[in-house]
Parts: sequence; C-alpha cells; structure tokens
Amino acid sequence: ILDLSTTPTISRMEIHSRSGAVVCVESEIRGDVTIGPRTVVHPKARIIAEAGPIIIGEGNLIEEQALIINSYPENILPDTEGVEPKTMTIGINNVFEVGCVSQALKIGDNNVIESKADLGKNVILTSGCIVGACCQVNTCEVIPENTVIYGSNCMRRVQTERPQPQTLQLDFLMKILPNYHHMKKTVKGTSTPVRN
Amino acid sequence: MASLLQPDRVLYLVHGEKKIRSPLSTLYFCRYCSELRSLECVSHEVDSHYCPSCLENMPSAEAKLKKNRKRICNQLNENFRCANCFDCPCCMHTLSTRATNIPAPLPDDPSKTAMKKAYYLACGFCRWTSRDVGMADKSVASGGWQEPDNPHTQRINKLIEYYQQLAQREKLERDRKKLARRRPYMPLAFSQHTIHVVEKYGLGTRLQRQRPGAPITSLAGLSLKEGEDQKEINIEPAQALDEVEPLPEDCYTRPINLPEVTSLRQRLLQPDFQPAGASQLHPKHKHLLIKRSLRCRKCEHNLSKPEFNPTSIKFKIQLVAVSYIPEVRIMSIPNLRFQKECQVLLTLTNPVENITHVTLVGCEEGDPEDINSTAKVMVPTKELVLAGKDAAAEYDELAEPQDFQDDPDVVAFRKSNKIGFFIKVVPQREEDGDVTVSFKIRHDFRNLAAPIRPSEEGDAPAEAIWLTHHVELSLGPIIA
Repeated sequence: ILDLSTTPTISRMEIHSRSGAVVCVESEIRGDVTIGPRTVVHPKARIIAEAGPIIIGEGNLIEEQALIINSYPENILPDTEGVEPKTMTIGINNVFEVGCVSQALKIGDNNVIESKADLGKNVILTSGCIVGACCQVNTCEVIPENTVIYGSNCMRRVQTERPQPQTLQLDFLMKILPNYHHMKKTVKGTSTPVRN
Repeated sequence: MASLLQPDRVLYLVHGEKKIRSPLSTLYFCRYCSELRSLECVSHEVDSHYCPSCLENMPSAEAKLKKNRKRICNQLNENFRCANCFDCPCCMHTLSTRATNIPAPLPDDPSKTAMKKAYYLACGFCRWTSRDVGMADKSVASGGWQEPDNPHTQRINKLIEYYQQLAQREKLERDRKKLARRRPYMPLAFSQHTIHVVEKYGLGTRLQRQRPGAPITSLAGLSLKEGEDQKEINIEPAQALDEVEPLPEDCYTRPINLPEVTSLRQRLLQPDFQPAGASQLHPKHKHLLIKRSLRCRKCEHNLSKPEFNPTSIKFKIQLVAVSYIPEVRIMSIPNLRFQKECQVLLTLTNPVENITHVTLVGCEEGDPEDINSTAKVMVPTKELVLAGKDAAAEYDELAEPQDFQDDPDVVAFRKSNKIGFFIKVVPQREEDGDVTVSFKIRHDFRNLAAPIRPSEEGDAPAEAIWLTHHVELSLGPIIA
C-alpha cells in the first residue's frame, strides 16, 4: 500500500483496480479523490479536492491539462471553522477535453466539456450536455439535458442525440498508455487514513 | 514594443478623388501613372468564383449565362452556390458528412440483415445534424441532399424574366437617345454612364469596358438578343386579399419553447422560407466567394490580378506599394514632453534593387495636406542614401560592405537595405491624444514598366523620376 498523500491533512485516494482505472503518474491528484473503473486520466491532468472529496464515476476520459477542482467558495478562507466539505460528484462516460476547467459540483453522465471550457462552481450539468470550446459557464443554474453551448456568445441549443460514449477511445488508451507512461499504483479497498 | 510596428502608426497620403490616409501595406502603386492608389480609387472586378470549403472553381456568372440562356431562371438559384458543400443552418459553419452503420435487410433475402452505410450531415461546431430536422439518412456520400423547393419559385422566375426584358428595353432606348444627341461629336462612343451603372434588376455588371472609339459591339449584341426573345412576357399583377389567416387561439397563452425559436440571423439567411421554428431549418448550399482584381481608374491597367486556381494564393500581377515605395517605420520613441525637443528613431527600408536617394522635407506653414500634426518636426536636411535590396546578401560573405559615409548625428545604423535615422520632435499641444507629426519624403523611382524608346547610345535604360509622398506618424501620448 503506497502512501500517496501529499498534503498535511487527511487524504486518501482510491483507485478501483479490478477493471483498471488508468491513471498516469504525471497527473496531479490531491486530496480525497475516488476514481471509478475504466476511467483514464492523462498525464498533466489535475484533480484537486481542496474543500471536499471528489467522486469520479466510471468510463470517464480526463485529458491533459484538464483541471477538476473542488475549491473553497471565494469569500471563505481555507481555515474557517464550521465549513462543511461538499462532495463533487462526476457521473459516467464524461469527457473532459484538453485544458478545460471544471468546478461544477455535480456533473451527470455522457457530458462533453470541450477544450478550454470553464465551468463555475454553481453550475450543475445533467446528462448529454456539451459545453463548447472556450465557453465560460458560470451562471447559477441547472443545465437541461442534451444542451449544447457553443460560440463566443455561449449560444445554446438542444440536440436530439446524446454524445456517444467514447468506448473505442477508452479501450485504445487503456491499452496504449501503460506502454508509454508509468501508472499510479492502485490501492485495493479502503486504506486507513494517513496523517502526516 | 511591438505596438510601434502596428501598421496604422505610419500613414501615407493618397491623392485621389478623396484624400485618403492609410498605411503603406494597404496601398497599391500604379507604375504607369507613378502614383499611389488606395482601395477606394481603384475599380474592383470579379475574377472568378470558388467554394471556400471544397476549393472548386466555378465559371464566372457571365460564362454560365451565355451557355444556358434558356435555363437562366432555374439556375439562378444554383448560381453562386457550391453544389457539394452545405452550411449549417444553425451556426453557419460548414457541414461535414458522417457515416454510420445501420442494419438493413438485404435486397435479395429480406430475412437477413447486413450492415449498410448511411450518411448524414453534421456540424462540428454546434452539433446540429440533419436528423434534427427530419432529413432521412442517405445512402450516397454526396449528391443525395436536396434543398426543399420554394412554392413561389415559378412566380418569382416569371417576374424576373419580365423585368429583365423591361430593363433591356429601357437601356436600349436610353442609349439610342444619347447616341442621337451626340452624333455630331462622338458618333461611335458609348456613354460611360451606361456601362458603369449596374444594370437594373440585377443582370450583373459588364466585365468589358468600352473605350471611346471602339466599335459598338454590345449594341449589335442587344439587337440579336431581342430577336431571340421576341415573345412578350406578360405577368399578372399581384392580388390583394381582404381576409388574412387568423392567429391561433393559444397565441398568447402557449409557453414559448425557447430552443425551438430561430434567431433573426438564422431566419434571414433563408429568405425564401424564413422559418420560425428550428425544426424547419434546412441546410443550404454554401455560398461562393470571389477572387477580385483591381484596376486603376485613370490608366485602366491592372494593379492586382490573382491566380485563377483557388488553391493558389499568388498573384499574376501584384503592384503593391510596399514593393516600390520606401517604407518609414517607427523604431523607438523616448518620453515625449510638452514643448521639449525629443529625438525619435525611425527606419527607412528600400524595397527595390537599385540604390535609392531619399530626401525628407518638413511641411511648410499653411500646407493644405498637413491637417493632423500636433508637433513641430525637424527632419535631417541631408540626402539619405539607401542601398539596394539584395536577396543574396546574407549568403555572400565575400561582398565588401559599401561605404556610405553616414553622418552619425543623422544616421543611427545601417543594415543592408535599411537605415535608422533621427528626427527631432517638439510637441506643441498639451492635450490628451497622440502626438502626430508629418513630413514629405522625396525619392527617386526608376520606372521599369515604361515602354522602351529607341535609346541613344549610352542612355540609361530607365530614367529616374522623383516622387514625393506625404507621410504622417502617430507617436503616442505625451508623458508629463
């Protein structure tokens, strides 16, 4: 059992090993992060659980330089007492493309967050949504299913089909990535919390 | 300091119908008139049409009209649109064709199913697909997609034919009247007005220009055309209706389904249908772009003529100003102070291959071209010599550097065909806004395009003429 904690607070990382989540060593994962099976985390991706744990479902694809961060709300200092840690949940079959930033606390299934998109803390993505490249969505709302946000003005429209899950790509990556990168060793079951 | 190299910092004055000040990179130089020309004092002509996504060349509109005169009306919709490419009706991006495998019963044996390819159109930007509007998947990759027919097409075509005939008749009468009046003076001349004016009702501008004295070929052409379409086209006048369709009853109470409502832009890009609902937005064929050529209005020579091939970005004729006129650029500006003398470093680049002599002259008091300057400028009085542009100079190590004996107070540095020189600027106004100076630059120009006259022995093949340009520089704000 490897010690993966890098922060002084309680930290624990679980990577389900049986169906093999593929997490590259060069990715930065901090805090209490649970990654489901068949998820691929590319090198230089960053998953940071500062203000609470992050639970990532299965079949997700998190590409390079993507940033998934559960951060403190802006007006609260990290040391304030009495702040409840909020869990960030991410569903299955989502794609976080290169360079996107996601702080949304709840993301459903089959969503695609395109390159350099920016999701704020108060957005909730349901299923089948596509947030276009370079679109910043920081409104306080629930995005309805199958919405496409595109364009420099973040225009929206509803599409009739959900984006297909990237099964081919995931299978390919799960075979090829271990040939070129070192993988983070998995932790079986739950480990006792490690304190520094 | 890249902002100093911005093109709109240094403006050259163009003498045309309007006095235009614009950067040298946007100007053309007519070497027959030996004058600068801007985009507003040249005439723009359409060279050819091409599709921006498949880069296919379309013959120009006139060629198409001449080939299929009888089918003009049906083809008017297809003119100027590509046959293969489509635009997304939602975001106007180019649509791409995607294939899926669907199980389909074999034609021979209906009980077995085989995978067949089905094609549909999809937009990579807004994720619109042709299935959203109910268009069935096609079994061929291209050519299967049809635009919906406009129910009013026949009526519109008949109206267009009628008005085209009317326009031709009016034009003939107008020209006959003008000829009759002008007979004693110019019996063969065609009125310039008739040619330049875009013909009424959109027959298109004429690509050929009539020079005074040329035979009247187009008149002859018109009479032949008339012989062809002798039949009169009659149209029924439009009828006004008293009763209008009433609004639906739930017009005020039905909640709006916002994703279904089309935006104005989406609606107006399809003027024949103007659908209000997104489920009626059908893709349209892609509009063609044009390649244009520019022509000097005074001497009728071409200033810019692109290649015919859409994949080529080169030009057959490219008389741009930067390849004939020395270019002034700002290199560094010290802190500008009100009524204090500052020294500004400028560079001058020689674009031609022979040595150029440049003299700078300040603007005199009351110069009508000097309207924008807010500072006094002292330019170097001596003549500046610029070496020719030598493309092989950087590879030729044995070449001796030419000795120009520069005055170090005037010339800061010299590098192949470029020199840096100082000017002194005294800002005169303390207001907000940029300090602007202007001066005249006088240089010699060898006209290689001039016709070679039978020269006497030993005469230089090209004579130098002196050109003067008015230059304005914008130096930035005063720093107190």
